[in-house]
Amino acid sequence: MSHIIELQNVWKRYETGGEVVEALKDVDFHTDPGEFVSVMGPSGSGKSTMLNVLGLLDTPTEGTVLLDDRDVTDLSDREMTARRKEFIGFIFQSFHLIPTLSALENVEVPTLFGDDPAARERATTLLERVGLGDRLDHRPDQLSGGQKQRVAIARALINEPRILLADEPTGNLDQETGRSVLDLFDEIRREDDVAIVAVTHDPQLSDYTDRTVELVDGRIQ
Amino acid sequence: MNPLEELLRRVPALLMARRNLSRNRIRSGLAILGIIIGVLAIASLGMFGTTLRTGADQQLGDIGNEISISPNLQEGVEELTDRDVDEIRRAVSDGSVVPIRSDSVLVSRGDQQTVTTIYGMENPGAIYEASDGRVPDRLRQGALVGSGTAELLDIEPGNTIAVDGRTYRVSAVLAEQQGISLVNPNSAVVLPMEDVNGTGYSQVVVSAESGQAANESAVSIREELNEREERVTVFELQSITSGIDQFFGILNTFLIGIGSISLVVAGVSILNVMLMSTIERRQEIGVLRAVGVQRGDIIRMILAEAGLLGTAGGVVGALVALGAGVALNSFVLNDPMATFQPINFFYVVLAVGFGIGTSILSGLYPAWKAANERPVEALRN
Repeated sequence: MSHIIELQNVWKRYETGGEVVEALKDVDFHTDPGEFVSVMGPSGSGKSTMLNVLGLLDTPTEGTVLLDDRDVTDLSDREMTARRKEFIGFIFQSFHLIPTLSALENVEVPTLFGDDPAARERATTLLERVGLGDRLDHRPDQLSGGQKQRVAIARALINEPRILLADEPTGNLDQETGRSVLDLFDEIRREDDVAIVAVTHDPQLSDYTDRTVELVDGRIQ
Repeated sequence: MNPLEELLRRVPALLMARRNLSRNRIRSGLAILGIIIGVLAIASLGMFGTTLRTGADQQLGDIGNEISISPNLQEGVEELTDRDVDEIRRAVSDGSVVPIRSDSVLVSRGDQQTVTTIYGMENPGAIYEASDGRVPDRLRQGALVGSGTAELLDIEPGNTIAVDGRTYRVSAVLAEQQGISLVNPNSAVVLPMEDVNGTGYSQVVVSAESGQAANESAVSIREELNEREERVTVFELQSITSGIDQFFGILNTFLIGIGSISLVVAGVSILNVMLMSTIERRQEIGVLRAVGVQRGDIIRMILAEAGLLGTAGGVVGALVALGAGVALNSFVLNDPMATFQPINFFYVVLAVGFGIGTSILSGLYPAWKAANERPVEALRN
C-alpha cells in the first residue's frame, strides 16, 4: 500500500447541549504521496473536522486512522505531537504566524524545541524558495497577506513533511495572490512528492487538484 | 551573535518568553513593578529590623559584658571585704575586676556646691572613658568628674574642687554614659579608693571581653562566694540583652511577614497577567501544538515568562532595597556602610528568592491551562 494517510470508517460525534452531532459519518479517505486533493462542501459539512482528524489534532469516535501504514488512532498526546512534527505540515486560512517573531524565526518555530542545528539554513532556503529571500527579518505585520501565507507554507515545510494540510489556504487572499500560492503548492507536491489535502470553497483550486472530494452532512458523496 | 542571543537560541523557551513579554511592555512592566514592591518590602523591612537591632545594641553598649556583685543585705552582709575581692579576682579568668566604695558627700567649686555620690575606685579606666582629659589606669590622686556634675558646677579638667572638705585637681571629665549602666558616673565624682570613708566595698564590677565570658564569671563567682552562705548577689545584664535580642528577632520575622503579604499580592497580579496573556495567545499556542511543540515545552515557555518577570523584578527590587538600606542607615545610624553586613545580604537573597519563587508559582496554573487546551479548540476561529 502506498497511501500516506488513510481514514477507515471514521465517525466523529460531538455532544453539544445534550444533543449528539455527527460531524463525520463513516468516512473512508486516503491520499498518496504527490497527490493534491481538495475537500469541498458547504460549511458545517464536517470538512474541518476531517482535516483535524487527518492532522492528528482530533481523534475519531469510531474508525481507524493510518499514517504511513501505521495505526495512529489511539496514540497518546505526546506521540501524536511527535507524529505531527515528523509527518504533517499545517497551513491555516488566517496564517497564524507569531507576531513577535521574524519571518525566519516563524519558519523555524516547529524546530525550536529540539536539537536541530541545520534548521536556520533550511528555513533560509525555504524562504528563498517561496520568494521571500529578501524578507527574512521582517515581522508578520510588515508583510502582505500573500507573503504571510508564503511564510506559513515555508513553516509547514521546515520538517520535510509527507503531508500538507491546508484549511482554506486562499480564503484570505485575492484571486491573483491565491493563484500564485496554488502554483507554489503544485511545485511542492511535484518536487517534494508531498501529499496535499486542502479544505476549500475556492473553485479555482480544482484547476490544480488531482481529485476533489465532496463532503455533505459528514458523508463523502 | 552576542552571548545573550546565543543563550536565547539555546533555550528556545526563553527566546519565546522574552519576545512574548516585549509584546505588551506596559503590562509586563506593571507585573514587574508588583514584584519589585514585594521584594523591596521584604528586603527593606528585614534591613530595617537589622538597623533597629544595631541601634539598640549601640544604646546598650557593652552592658551585656559586665556583671555587678553586691553584698547580700538580707543575710546581714553590709559590705564586701578584701577577701571577697580576692576571691572574685580568682573566680574571674578573663576580664578586669573593679571594686567600688561609695558614699554621698558635699562637692563644691567656688561658691557653687551640690551633694553627689562619690565612688572610690583603683582602676576606673577599666569601665570609664574620658570626654575631656585622661583617665589614668591607676587612680592615685585627683578626681574624675561625671558629665552631669561637671555641667552643674561648670568643671573642666585642671580645675580644683572641694570634696568633703578636701581639695582635688580634676584630671578628667567622664564621657556621658547613655542607656543602661551598672555604675552610672554621670552625676558622680570618682576618687582614689583610700579617700572614700570606710574599709569594705559597696559593689564590685567585673568587665569581661564578651557576654559569654561575663556569664561564666558570674557562675564561678556564685560558686566561690556563695558556697556556705548567700554572701553576695550577682547581677547580670546579659539575660536582659539576650532577651532584647530575641525580641528584635521576633520583630524582624514579623516585619518580613508583613512584607511577604505584598509579595503574595504581586504573585496574584502575575497570575492575572499570565492568565490574560495565555488566553490572548490561545490560537498561537494552538499553532505551536499543531506544528509539533510538546505540552512540556509550552509549560516551560510560560514558566520562563513568569520566571523572567520575577527575575527582573527581583533584581531591580534588590537594588532599590539596598539603596533604601543605605539611606536608612545613614539617617538613623550615621553609617551607610552598616547596610552591607551578611544578615542584610541574607534578607536580600531571601526576598529575591521569594520574588522569583512567587512568580514561577503564579505561572504554574496559566502554563498548565495553556498546555492542556486542545489545539482543535484553540485554532477554531
